[in-house]
Amino acid sequence: MPKFRFTHFAAVAAAAMVTGLALGMSPAGAKEKVTVGFIGPLSGGTSSNGIGGRNSADLAVRLRNADPNAKYEYELLVQDDECKPNIGVQAATKFGANKDMIAAATHYCSAVAISTVDVYHKFGLPIIVWGAVLPDITYGNNYKEVHRVNGTMINQNETAAKFMTGLGYQTWAIIHDTTDYGKGHNKYFSENLVKNGGKILGTFGVTSDQQDFFAELTKIKSLNPDVLYFGGLTPIGVRIRAQMERLGLKAQFQGTSGIVSDTFIEGAGPLAEGVLAFREGAPTEMLPGGKLFLEQYREQGYSDPPEAYGAFAFTAMNLILDTIEAVGPDRKKVRNALNNVTGSNAADSITGKVDFDDHGQNTIAVITKYVSQDGKWTVWENSEYASGMRKLKGM
Amino acid sequence: MSARGRLAPLLPGIVVAVGVTTYVIVLLGVESQTGIAALLAAGAGAVLAAARFGVAARMGRAFGKRDNFLNLLVVLAIVVLTVYFYEDHFVLLMVATVIIYVIACLGLNLQFGYSGVLNFAGAAFFGVGCYTAAVLTKNTDVPHLVILVAGGLMAATVGSVLLLPVLRTRGHYSAVVTIAFGLLFKIFLEVNDTLGGPQGLRVDGMNVLGWEFNDNIEIGENFEASFYVNYVVVGLILLVLAFALVRRIERSWIGLNLDAVRLDETAASCFGINIMRWKITAFILGNFLIGLAGALYAMMLGFIAPTNFTFGDSLILVSIVLLGGIGNPWGLAVATTILIIVPEKLQAIQEYRFLLFAVMVILILLFRPEGLLPRPLRAYFPGWRPK
Amino acid sequence: MDGLGEQRIRLGYAQAERHVRPGTDPGRPGTGPAARWSTASSVEFRTRKAHSMDVGLFVQYVMNGLMLGVMYALVAVGFTLFFGVMNIINFSHGDVVMVGAFVGLATYLGVSSIGVENPWGQLAAAMIVAASAMALMGAAVAKYLVLPLKNAPPLNTLLITLMLGTALHEAVRLFYPRGANPQRFPSLLPTDAYSFGNFTLRIDSVILLGTGLLAIVGIHLLINRTKLGLAMRAVAQDEDTAKTMGIDFDRIVLITFAIGSALAAFTGILHGLYYSEVNFAMGLLLGVIGFSSAIVGGLGNIYGAIIGGFLFAALQTLGVVAMPFASAYKDVFAFGVIILIMAWRPTGLISEKISERV
Repeated sequence: MPKFRFTHFAAVAAAAMVTGLALGMSPAGAKEKVTVGFIGPLSGGTSSNGIGGRNSADLAVRLRNADPNAKYEYELLVQDDECKPNIGVQAATKFGANKDMIAAATHYCSAVAISTVDVYHKFGLPIIVWGAVLPDITYGNNYKEVHRVNGTMINQNETAAKFMTGLGYQTWAIIHDTTDYGKGHNKYFSENLVKNGGKILGTFGVTSDQQDFFAELTKIKSLNPDVLYFGGLTPIGVRIRAQMERLGLKAQFQGTSGIVSDTFIEGAGPLAEGVLAFREGAPTEMLPGGKLFLEQYREQGYSDPPEAYGAFAFTAMNLILDTIEAVGPDRKKVRNALNNVTGSNAADSITGKVDFDDHGQNTIAVITKYVSQDGKWTVWENSEYASGMRKLKGM
Repeated sequence: MSARGRLAPLLPGIVVAVGVTTYVIVLLGVESQTGIAALLAAGAGAVLAAARFGVAARMGRAFGKRDNFLNLLVVLAIVVLTVYFYEDHFVLLMVATVIIYVIACLGLNLQFGYSGVLNFAGAAFFGVGCYTAAVLTKNTDVPHLVILVAGGLMAATVGSVLLLPVLRTRGHYSAVVTIAFGLLFKIFLEVNDTLGGPQGLRVDGMNVLGWEFNDNIEIGENFEASFYVNYVVVGLILLVLAFALVRRIERSWIGLNLDAVRLDETAASCFGINIMRWKITAFILGNFLIGLAGALYAMMLGFIAPTNFTFGDSLILVSIVLLGGIGNPWGLAVATTILIIVPEKLQAIQEYRFLLFAVMVILILLFRPEGLLPRPLRAYFPGWRPK
Repeated sequence: MDGLGEQRIRLGYAQAERHVRPGTDPGRPGTGPAARWSTASSVEFRTRKAHSMDVGLFVQYVMNGLMLGVMYALVAVGFTLFFGVMNIINFSHGDVVMVGAFVGLATYLGVSSIGVENPWGQLAAAMIVAASAMALMGAAVAKYLVLPLKNAPPLNTLLITLMLGTALHEAVRLFYPRGANPQRFPSLLPTDAYSFGNFTLRIDSVILLGTGLLAIVGIHLLINRTKLGLAMRAVAQDEDTAKTMGIDFDRIVLITFAIGSALAAFTGILHGLYYSEVNFAMGLLLGVIGFSSAIVGGLGNIYGAIIGGFLFAALQTLGVVAMPFASAYKDVFAFGVIILIMAWRPTGLISEKISERV
């Protein structure tokens, strides 16, 4: 057996380390590099929204990097939060702990966003939420780091209740998922429904990865409601719709912004026809900068559509980039500057004016009513259901 | 003996410790993916070369001979690591996570590796520790160090619920009991709102005698160390204690009894060893360690949810014990480091993490079932090997 | 709605209205008024249900339970086959069910894209391709992973099959296009429905139930009436004697694994047709429940497996009927019962007779 030679060992070790260091050093560049981040659900049942958001944020960064007047060169780091609170916290911790990360656009899933606000505050990382609708995310705390460009679920449910009772429906059964997202929807919708004279026959909480809903749906069938309101996300929305059909439950299916996605229609197939849903914000084409955004998105050639919240992700990322250009790559400065985007300092964006209130919340006035028609989410007013050519269930 | 004479046998150990520490520091520090891949390849190459040239065997013997001194070196190495990365949150978070996982796997090793009690609910007991910490920090004023112990005790108590089925069953049946419990735990947490439901719970950071762990350590104007340093220090202390405990047990007559129970129950009971008693001891003690680690983890992370504790996570813990070499605490440490740090650094394989683990374990089971560092035969004099 | 029920509902609202105040600070997650709301309105349903569970509802519950039972029984039978022939638990069985379902789905997509329109044709193609693919995979698993570890400690086989299951579902999640999303499974069976009061009977549910039961009967016949079955039983009873009688041990093991995996593919497609959906995580729970059912019935005993499967489904349905507002607890309930049964009868209800060489 050859003798252990210290020199051999040292040589190998030194070689390894030198190679590593050499490869690790980056070539010198002209502009200073700034890192920004994006977190969204890139896998799992809500991934179409996450991927759409990521592509939109990526678009914003690319356009900015192509701009010769930009002061810095931006690098976008992307993390997948899988729509799970603990994974989201891990991703947030990674970003927060990364000393190069200046700011990030975060989260579509409310359950994740509500859990990560503490982390961002702990690390002092300013973030802008682009898709989560739970009010608590901005109103449940006083963190200066947290902002949001899209609306909250309060207005969504107000409009929904008024509209549905206006159509003539009288009795509801509610299924909601047990995360804060579903519970929030349940709370706001139920409040508003009772105010508008609707009657709730039963409320059922289900887990967000539940497979079999026959138990709840059998019970609901015996209650015979006009409408089944679903407060939750696409994956279980699809399952409930399919299983309703199997049991012969003929209620009208009403959902929230959580099911306004192409995945829902793909998943439910022909059963998606005639499903109602509500979302805050105008459809992308009708936003002030919507057409331009869609054009540029198409030009970049992403293989997936921006989905419902892509425009908001674009706005959030653009706002971050603008702020960094204005005050420089420093977390505290960016945070303070974002908190200043209010009143006369309101920023323009493709989704309209961004005006943060004292909790970092932007106001979105428009609520869009959607109905699924022929495999696409169509704005209610433009649909054949509104004009009377097709009928919703129970009408 | 002259100083040089005393030092000479330790030299290989010291060299290895220094070399490995430098390697790990560089690995943790490099950011670019290609750099990391190159380093990993070089590291693997160095290990293979060492095995080929018999260096590994010599080092193993050196380690065996001077156990305590080399353990001290390792602790020193971790301290050096912490000092070097004093303001890098992420690296320190990884180091702390590795330390915590090693403590948990030591517990699992006690059950699995020493007394042969199958436990596929490791993540569930870890979760018990986490939730205990969450509930106690939020609702009571119990001092946080005591909460760590409470986490361990709760895990041990919950584990004792499973004692009857685990003791009465063997092999596959025993496996299904722990698997069922692991799944039950996660589903119960998700469905039940009292412990936060699927939304999880926030956990306050540790606070020992007024020293708030979640604030960065600021000494003077310019020096600011990451707050994770606090957790690394506490974790290290706990690790040393747990490691010492496990080694002592292994070396003692208790360990001998546990080995006997594992190797051949019938023969052991013929010799008058009380199987039940030793299995219970191992199971409860193991769960205590796992719960302890869980409590610290919860306080460090600040947030826990049921999806942290799935069956897949239990399988990861079991893979670590298996990969490292069943029954060898050192192997555990190495395996944990590899399994936690490599996926974090190599972003490209992050997604494929579980798949790679599964494939690695399958390969190991097919070709090297003893693991990376198989447990050496019990030696009466440390470091003595029969020729 | 009877008057009493109506009153209770109003009471439920009153309680709820007290809790919900507009503009309240939402507070900590998980403890807000919404949580109290759902309990308030659901509690009164428990009392209402006690008053009137009509026949239609009851039959619907029975139907749901039967379907679940058939699926669990099929998976349990698979586990029993593997155990019988090699004394091992193949923990990857649940994931094989899932892979079978995905292969069926992929076949359907492929076949319909080349123009086959007839749903029966599509279904047949999906079944055949899935069953053959899984049979091949099962045989490969037996040959390369299980047989080589025949003489290793049983722990190793347990772990290797567990890891294989993990590898399978991770592979599907990562490599199947959009694998992490739930995939729509087409309704290939006629979906006409007949209503009897509260009970809706869909033709395809009946077909699924019938086919499942037929498959179970088929396996029973295979094991007990054919020469192959005799060989399998012989190998299960005593390997050495079987070899002496001229039975090729390795080949029988491969064939058993193939049959078991083909059965798994069949179950997967059944599952897909029933829920109109497949997702990469469906195998885990199904596998554990199937395994638990097999154990409850006593490993190695086909009848025990079938009984175990239906028993488990009955337990879950009972759990749901008793607690309709929290049907997610049914899994907790079922697993708890499993642990209790294991504590009471460590080798299953119909205990296996084993002899151990010491």
